[in-house]
Amino acid sequence: MTNANEQGVLCPEGDVVASAVPQLRSELRDLVSTGVRRLVVDMKNVQMIDSAGLGLLIAAHNSLKKMDGEMSVIQASSDILELLTTLRMNQHFKIEGQ
Amino acid sequence: MSKPTVDDELVQEYLAESREHLTTIEADLLQIEDDGAAIDEQLVNRVFRAAHSIKGGAGFFDFVKIRELAHKAENVLDMVRCRELVPNSEIVSILLLAFDKLREMLADYRQSNSIDISEFVGALTNITTANLAADQKQAVNGQVSLAVPNAAKIIQVAAFDLAQARRGGRSIYLVEYDLFHDIHRASKTPLDVLRGLMKFGSILESGLDLDSAGTLEDEASSRLLMEVLYATPLEADLINEVLALPPEQVKLIEKNGQAINLAGAPAGQVASVNLPALPVTLPASPVTAPAAAVPVSVAPIPAASTAETAEASSRPSVAPAAEATIRLNVELLDSLMTLAGELVLSRNQLSEAVSSDDSTGIRAAAHRLSLVTSEVQSAVALTRMQPVGTLFAKFPRLVRDLGRDLGKQVQLKIEGGDVEIDKTILEGLSDPLTHMIRNSVDHGVEMPEVRTAAGKPAMGTITLRASHQTGQVVIEIIDDGKGLPADKIGASSLAKGMITREQLDAMSDRDKIMLIFLPGVSTAEKVSNVSGRGVGMDVVKTNLDKLGGKIDIDSVVGQGTSFRIKLPLTLAIIPSLLVSNGGQRFALPQVSVGELIRIPAEQQAERIDRAGDGEVLLLRDRLVPLLHLSEALGGARTAMSDRAMNVVLVNTGSFEYGLVVDDLHDTVEIVVKPLGRHLQSLGDYAGATILGDGQVAIILDVGGVAARAGLTADTITRPTGTEEEATESQSQSLLLFHNGPGEQCAVPIELVTRVERIRPEQVEHLGGRRTMQYGEASLPLVALNDVASMGQVGEGQQWVVIVFERTGRPLGLLAAEPLDMIESYVALDPVTLRQPGIAGSAILNTRTTLMLDIFELAGLARPNSTETHTSAGSVQPVAETAMDIPPAPTATVLVAEDSDFFRGQICRLIEGVGHQVLAASDGQEAWELLQQHPDVNAVATDLEMPRLDGLGLTRLIRADGRFGQLPVIALSSLAGEEEIARALAEGVTEYQVKLDQDDFLASIERALSPTAAR
Repeated sequence: MTNANEQGVLCPEGDVVASAVPQLRSELRDLVSTGVRRLVVDMKNVQMIDSAGLGLLIAAHNSLKKMDGEMSVIQASSDILELLTTLRMNQHFKIEGQ
Repeated sequence: MSKPTVDDELVQEYLAESREHLTTIEADLLQIEDDGAAIDEQLVNRVFRAAHSIKGGAGFFDFVKIRELAHKAENVLDMVRCRELVPNSEIVSILLLAFDKLREMLADYRQSNSIDISEFVGALTNITTANLAADQKQAVNGQVSLAVPNAAKIIQVAAFDLAQARRGGRSIYLVEYDLFHDIHRASKTPLDVLRGLMKFGSILESGLDLDSAGTLEDEASSRLLMEVLYATPLEADLINEVLALPPEQVKLIEKNGQAINLAGAPAGQVASVNLPALPVTLPASPVTAPAAAVPVSVAPIPAASTAETAEASSRPSVAPAAEATIRLNVELLDSLMTLAGELVLSRNQLSEAVSSDDSTGIRAAAHRLSLVTSEVQSAVALTRMQPVGTLFAKFPRLVRDLGRDLGKQVQLKIEGGDVEIDKTILEGLSDPLTHMIRNSVDHGVEMPEVRTAAGKPAMGTITLRASHQTGQVVIEIIDDGKGLPADKIGASSLAKGMITREQLDAMSDRDKIMLIFLPGVSTAEKVSNVSGRGVGMDVVKTNLDKLGGKIDIDSVVGQGTSFRIKLPLTLAIIPSLLVSNGGQRFALPQVSVGELIRIPAEQQAERIDRAGDGEVLLLRDRLVPLLHLSEALGGARTAMSDRAMNVVLVNTGSFEYGLVVDDLHDTVEIVVKPLGRHLQSLGDYAGATILGDGQVAIILDVGGVAARAGLTADTITRPTGTEEEATESQSQSLLLFHNGPGEQCAVPIELVTRVERIRPEQVEHLGGRRTMQYGEASLPLVALNDVASMGQVGEGQQWVVIVFERTGRPLGLLAAEPLDMIESYVALDPVTLRQPGIAGSAILNTRTTLMLDIFELAGLARPNSTETHTSAGSVQPVAETAMDIPPAPTATVLVAEDSDFFRGQICRLIEGVGHQVLAASDGQEAWELLQQHPDVNAVATDLEMPRLDGLGLTRLIRADGRFGQLPVIALSSLAGEEEIARALAEGVTEYQVKLDQDDFLASIERALSPTAAR
């Protein structure tokens, strides 16, 4: 997790699933409260996203959008890339694969 | 409508006539297309007249839209008739679509004036003005907003995609998921769900309702909506089964963009939902859709030959109207009239006899009445018979359209269209046949160039044939395509985990082909967009099962596939077995009844076993799960420990089970009455009937009853196929395991204490021995390659340790997965593969299997526990208690045991301690041997044996004065207190559970020691 000039990176250590969501949510809140407006979620350690995880990503996107910020997802595995593009999330935020 | 008092009868007559015209039109149009420029005037005239008379009637009743459309079609046909227009396939396609629309409008004639037909009229006008401009052939490029009632989000989709997606008869649904409620709670991930959908169709568009997720500041949202616009060949009644969602979350998108709620709201109501609020944006479309009437309108693509043959079924609210009337043969009606006269006569005769109290007359009249009734019954049944041709008629179009879409040349030959079958069955056949013919075109018939290369005509042929065979109707679908690759299907099922490698190896090609009826099995490398292979074949089977049909496949790779469906003639009257339970009577359709079994109270303990939490019945050489009807229906089990148990062996089509009922009654022919609407969702009941005494009996659906009780095909132990002939001998429960790869071994399950999965590193090498921790102690491990020349358990295999405790001290055998448990008769070959530790071999599950001799193995593995051990596989360690008693030098023990395997073991054990053995393979043989050798010192007998069992043998021995003192040791795998008590009561001296060698030898010594003599 880094933070410099409105830019912040969240790099979840494991899958973005229901059990990890509360922790990630508070990390994201902290990031936003310290002024991060350009958030990068680095998915290099993430194999799977479940419903709760998807909800969290969208909540983060919604939060940033409200504050004229933006979110992007990088290093998404092929599964995650497939999920996010099938759901047309790439029309809302930037998504890059590994 | 200007004539609100239109005589309903007249309208009905017009509708019936129009429908009749429309049924022939399709075939005629296809013929016209084939003829091309060389038109058959008569044919064209016929179609022209059909359009003309539809137009005429519509004018009379003021159905303006119907009249307009019929008129336009008539114009085009007129031009064809006058040879001003060559009927190419585009023109025919448009005509077909127009007549489809007409059919739809006629079905809902009251609303027909508000139906938008501008696309059709436009397209037909374009033909007549002979300027079918190129730009009009192209699809409309435009974004269409789909708006659906209560939907959270509007999905944008290109009109072109929507129209494309409909090709090949696919339906389009808007599916709504709540990520938390529908996905997370079902322990799935969104990706699972999306991929699941892609298996059955394609996702045109999907999206999430971003707002429902809230922001980071909000508490975690508990609702996140996902919408998927989904195109699939699955029809409305099947989609719900696949999606497993509440029906209100699935909406069918009609061709005109209207959404039909599958929850079953009336069509009229849903059509009007807030759609007009959302205007369509169709840029520069030559055919403008009137936004006010239909907001989402997909302009017709003249080139599209969308096969909407499944129209009736995907429009459930409309379909029934078309089926309300039925046409009858006048001759049949006359014969019914005559029979009605006969009935009246019989009634008069009866009342005459009753009033004069003439009992002979009453009997005669009753007899006559019964005769007439059965004739009336069969005549009325005939009125329900409809020629299958009416159903077959829709397939040429389907084949033509599909073939065109796929670039294949296919012709459909129809034979036996006049074969008649019950209307209900005919209706139920529509979906399965559609699926199967689609599959044949899509996957059976190859592309023309492939066919030519294979030396076949470029034009593929699919034959659809109906015929009568022994009181059944047989429908065959035969294609001359590439055939079904049995190996591929097998491999695919294996990869999906639906069968095990062992099961696959045991399967014939035919069995493998039948695997396509398992859900999700596919042979296609790539699921095409016409019909995903595997999709629906399981549903096809389910549907056919419901109709009482059986399906069979024959396929030769490279030459084609033929499906054979056997169907009953009628469903209305079926022979059934009456049973009663808890004072209520139930009917079981005779087709699902296999046999009736009565188990006397005293046999119940030995014939019924528990497996897991269910009961199983030992039926000859198989295990059949048992289900108590009272329990299955949610009541308490009837106490029956003191009375015989009545079991009906029923077959659900995919498996069989025993249904336990209180009483069995007659077989009767029952008239099936449908259940009331409020009961129709109960899967365990197929209907009801009224019995001769006026009582109602519920007809049980054996599949439904099993499903309700949680019994499915996978919970059932498969009977082993190969050794079934050997019913004479008792079967044995064996644990199958592997040593090295490909080396299958078996031990009797009674000897196994525990099986544990281990990792190679758990094995400890200490003092030249292998051990592992087992509880508090360390367990000595032996591998087969230590004692016999066999392969080694390899690194790549999953290691297991099989723990034996009956060998005196616990011993672990290193082995490998896969493990299996089978019930089988063992024909032991004690010679060919005999080795130290290995008693011999047998063929199990079609594979040569080594039968282990655990006692010998234990002896070989523990050289320190004995001083010497002889080579020929004798087993040394004898319990100390037994060692104290000096054995009688040359005692003779008579051994009766039907299992070759156990007999060999017992004989070796006894011979190992220096006695002689007389061996018999059943009680009868043992008794005969005993007559020849009355000097036998002891008898060791198994209890379960053919011909004469152990108890019978004991009884004979005790009844004979000479053998009053002869010790009899009973050996059995049954270890219940009851069995032991019964055996002792019969005069058995000792009861031993098979097979603890130390205990057994000790008891032999006890029996032979002089002090034991009583």
